[in-house]
Amino acid sequence: MTGEAIAFYLLAAVVTAFALGCVLASNIVRMALCLLGTLGGVALLYFLMAANFLGAIQLIVYAGGTLIVIVFGVMLTSRAYGTKLRVRPLEMIGAAVVTLALLAGLTAILVRTAGPVVSPSTPDFGVAQIGTELLSTYLVPFEVISVLLLAVMIGAAYLVQPEKK
Amino acid sequence: MEDKVVHGQPDLLTDFDRQRVAADDLRTEELLINMGPQHPSTHGVLRLMLRTDGELVLEAIPHIGYLHRCAEKIGENVTPVQFVPYTDRLDYLAGMNNNHGYSLAIEKLCGLEVPERARYIRVLMCELNRIASHLVSFGCYGLDMGAFTPFLYAFREREYILDLFEATCGQRLTYNYLSIGGVTQDLPGGFADKLAHFLDYFEPKIDEYNNLLSYNYIFVKRTAGVGVVSAADALAYGLTGPCLRASGVKWDLRRCVPYEIYDRFEFDIPIGIAGGAIGVPREVVVGDSWSRYFVRMQEMKQSVRILRQALQQLPAGEFRAKVPAALKVPAGEVYLEVEGARGQLGYLIVGDGKKTPRRVKIRGPSFCNLSIATHVCRRVLIADVAAILGSIDVVMGEVDR
Amino acid sequence: MANFTVEDALRSRWSASAKPRAVRTFAVLGIVLAVAALGLGYLASSAPGAGYWLAVLGTALAGVAAMTCLGAAFVIQFSRLVGTWLFRLAFLIFVGGLVGIALLAWVPALLYEQVDAAVADHYGAGATGVLTVADLEAVGWALPTDSIEVRRQGAVGWAPPTDSIDGRGKAVVGSAHPTASFLAYALWPLQFRLTRDILALVGVVGFVSLLAMFTIWWERKVAGRMQSRLGPMRVGGWHGWAQSMADGIKLLQKEDIYLEGADRPLFKLAPYIAFMPALALFLALPFSAAWICRDLDIGLLFILALAGIGVLGVIVAGWASNNKWSLLGAMREACQMISYEIPLGFALLVPVMTTGTLRLTAIGELQAGGFHTWLAFQSPFTLAAAVLFFTATLAACKRAPFDLPEAESELVAGVYTEYSGFRWSLFFFAEYAEMFAVGALAAILFFGAWYSPLPANWGAAWLHGPLWQRALYGILFNGPLWLIFKGFFFLFVQIWLRWTLPRIRLDQVMYACVQVMLPLSMLVLLGATFWALLVPHGSMLAVVANLACTALGVGAVLAIIGIVFYGYSNRRQLVGTLAIEHWPGS
Repeated sequence: MTGEAIAFYLLAAVVTAFALGCVLASNIVRMALCLLGTLGGVALLYFLMAANFLGAIQLIVYAGGTLIVIVFGVMLTSRAYGTKLRVRPLEMIGAAVVTLALLAGLTAILVRTAGPVVSPSTPDFGVAQIGTELLSTYLVPFEVISVLLLAVMIGAAYLVQPEKK
Repeated sequence: MEDKVVHGQPDLLTDFDRQRVAADDLRTEELLINMGPQHPSTHGVLRLMLRTDGELVLEAIPHIGYLHRCAEKIGENVTPVQFVPYTDRLDYLAGMNNNHGYSLAIEKLCGLEVPERARYIRVLMCELNRIASHLVSFGCYGLDMGAFTPFLYAFREREYILDLFEATCGQRLTYNYLSIGGVTQDLPGGFADKLAHFLDYFEPKIDEYNNLLSYNYIFVKRTAGVGVVSAADALAYGLTGPCLRASGVKWDLRRCVPYEIYDRFEFDIPIGIAGGAIGVPREVVVGDSWSRYFVRMQEMKQSVRILRQALQQLPAGEFRAKVPAALKVPAGEVYLEVEGARGQLGYLIVGDGKKTPRRVKIRGPSFCNLSIATHVCRRVLIADVAAILGSIDVVMGEVDR
Repeated sequence: MANFTVEDALRSRWSASAKPRAVRTFAVLGIVLAVAALGLGYLASSAPGAGYWLAVLGTALAGVAAMTCLGAAFVIQFSRLVGTWLFRLAFLIFVGGLVGIALLAWVPALLYEQVDAAVADHYGAGATGVLTVADLEAVGWALPTDSIEVRRQGAVGWAPPTDSIDGRGKAVVGSAHPTASFLAYALWPLQFRLTRDILALVGVVGFVSLLAMFTIWWERKVAGRMQSRLGPMRVGGWHGWAQSMADGIKLLQKEDIYLEGADRPLFKLAPYIAFMPALALFLALPFSAAWICRDLDIGLLFILALAGIGVLGVIVAGWASNNKWSLLGAMREACQMISYEIPLGFALLVPVMTTGTLRLTAIGELQAGGFHTWLAFQSPFTLAAAVLFFTATLAACKRAPFDLPEAESELVAGVYTEYSGFRWSLFFFAEYAEMFAVGALAAILFFGAWYSPLPANWGAAWLHGPLWQRALYGILFNGPLWLIFKGFFFLFVQIWLRWTLPRIRLDQVMYACVQVMLPLSMLVLLGATFWALLVPHGSMLAVVANLACTALGVGAVLAIIGIVFYGYSNRRQLVGTLAIEHWPGS
């Protein structure tokens, strides 16, 4: 077992633990922190696989995202009354169905993937190449996502604009 | 229009209001926060109950009484001469002015005549102490706004004044110097030189501090247009001193109802001026925090003027009238107000022929000035509460007495 | 604790029985550990494979622990003596420490180059391999080396003295310089990645701790001078140099207070969430092209990401404190950080776009040709981006005038209200580390990185000279010293601003970001894009802009110095004191 494998399993365990914590925590800020732990662990996995750019972007995007979750958590929940998040049975069934479907899909892909996955020891896929690919091969999806984000931004700006009197 | 003036911050307020209407279903909880009695910017032991929506203060209710020491009740149990030290502890930043008011009231009731030299010494001390008090106000206001350095500068200059006081009466904070019938001892030799030396040094410093803090862009943005008190409101709430003058009312007891010998000096009464005039930033509104702050800066200059004149006219002679050892407070009632550092300081004294007065009642200017806080701290940000309180410049010793 | 000094700590009274016992324990422990270290070292010289690494690691750990124990025994035994001499030599230790820190930044780079050159020479340029001590011994102290630049080009300009080389080109043991043997043993571990990483980690942690302690002391001195007072003067003797150390000891001794209603795990965790990223971002921060822990191809993004995580610690601290002031501080921090990351990012995109890389060492190496080649002076847009970047980092580091999260006159102490002792100090370690990091980042991205204002090729001849010439080259032209110097310069500007400006109000902070800095940074980015597209390098316009921006930058610095001197020479003081004991006749 190489050091890389040890690190991978260690990280995977940590990510799983955080994911469990995220699901099971009843306090929204702790939940958000566990979420950050999960996403940060995944970012570390990316780093382990020499996908530095992806890892850094994951950290930047999700650190900011978790920040927003915490802000909403603080603003929208009341600590004074100690409200805890509870799950109703119906919701639990729905969640179970979705999760199981996802698990099945992932397992199928895992089984179908042929051969051992070799992790690249040297990053021959640099930032410059990602940029080139995004603006050539994947230009259309890239632009579609840009337009979608623009629409989201306009929508948000429209929602928060002061009511006209 | 009326609405805007009352609430203080035209732009900010309406935006917040509209957002609250728009985001009705995202309504957040209201916070109830205790600001004080231990809080860096409540200047002592004032406690403000803030009802806030996030950072927006909906209501600020002052709770006072944490420094109540029964000063007025003590006044009924000790002789006037014994009570003078207690007056020092009312507005502990301007002890001389407090001594002055009480001494004047007792002298008026007892019909004592104060020697000419003593009167000049009193004016010297009161104006020096006014400068010292305004310096503290200036420094602490900078501190409230997050500028630490002016505070140290202010205290450096104040230290020189305290040195002069120490040379004069041996005390640096609670002087017990202006007493019934004059002052307790004569000025030390060389005082006039030292004072002139200090004034020559200090006067240009005021302009320096204006450049450092008063005209600082951030400082102006923080204070101009914040906590606007209209002249009518100021009069209705009984504001006095710099707070009243900043609202555009030209009212100074030293000039309007002259007491002691203030009618012999030439000086101006600085008042709040709307923005755009020379030396006043564009954003300033009459009666806002910046005006209140700046009136004090200008008053320091006027005090320097008075001090120079008084120093020039200072006569020789007795420093204290002959006061009978067993001074009896005659039957009768007197109410007398002087212009303290923070406003009109009033003493009501009722005598019934005994050694101790029957009743002593003090009108502390800070008490009345503080009453405007609730009115002004409505729909402002938490940072503005510090700006408004600092500009009102309350001393809790005087509020609680 | 008012007059607590380091001396007191060292001279602290021990009970009659406790002192010998402590000395004995430490001494025995130290000797055992030293023996263990020697044993492991012996093992390491022969053990194969993974066992070898374990032995190396064990040797290092046991050696450090042994030295610590023996040192502790010595200090306790001779506490009075040590305290006295520490006090007497305070000034020397302080100055020596500063010089030492500066040298430490340079020496590893030098040594690494030395070893790299030896490896490259032995195995050929570009190849990797492990040298034995004997190989290194042959190379010895008089190793004439080439710069990294030369080796990167694949040219190996070094031929060993022929008389000590056998037929295969391998060095013959024993014919080298007498000091070579010792040095070879010292250099030998440096060729391994693991050793270098351990050294780098130790270096980073040590540097950050020293940095925070020094900067806190420095800030207090600067603030004192600005406010016509002296600042710390007592502890340690010379200008209170040991003030931070004494404060640190005091903070360690304090009770670890947490509130009844606080979210205890999060409350305890928050300082670490704030501190660790601030420490970790130094891993990707190059001190020079050669001295960097991990030269990531996305170094800039990595640092940004870690800075973003550190903010979470502050916010969690504010939330977990169960204090409304803390909560308000946390919310302020959140909205400030989220807003200012955007103009910060845009400002960072300008150098990235100009240089075409995210690798910090690459960005730095492009600015080697003297101060007119510094990136900030390339076009009006890069200059504007530098200013925007610095302003945004003030907000990101919550320094005045953007210090709203801890605004002491509004929120008591903001997010730090409920913290005390060690946890509190962690926040400040993080803050000062980040302050230096953004200053260093500004230097790397805009102001010539680790290069001095002199063009680096002026001293190129020294690169091939003896060791002292290369060291001098590192001091004069190119080296970590310059980056540290520039970082401290920006740190000083931050301190200067903090003690001059009042604090901005929350809505004004947001206004300044969304309405002023965001459009401005977008404009600058757009301008920089078109500048890169339309103005070719070396064209008339580019040269003129370069000259104008350089003149502007240099002029601004000169103007600041001029204003300072004008103010200083026209300062007004009250001559003498007014205190009564100095009056004539008293």
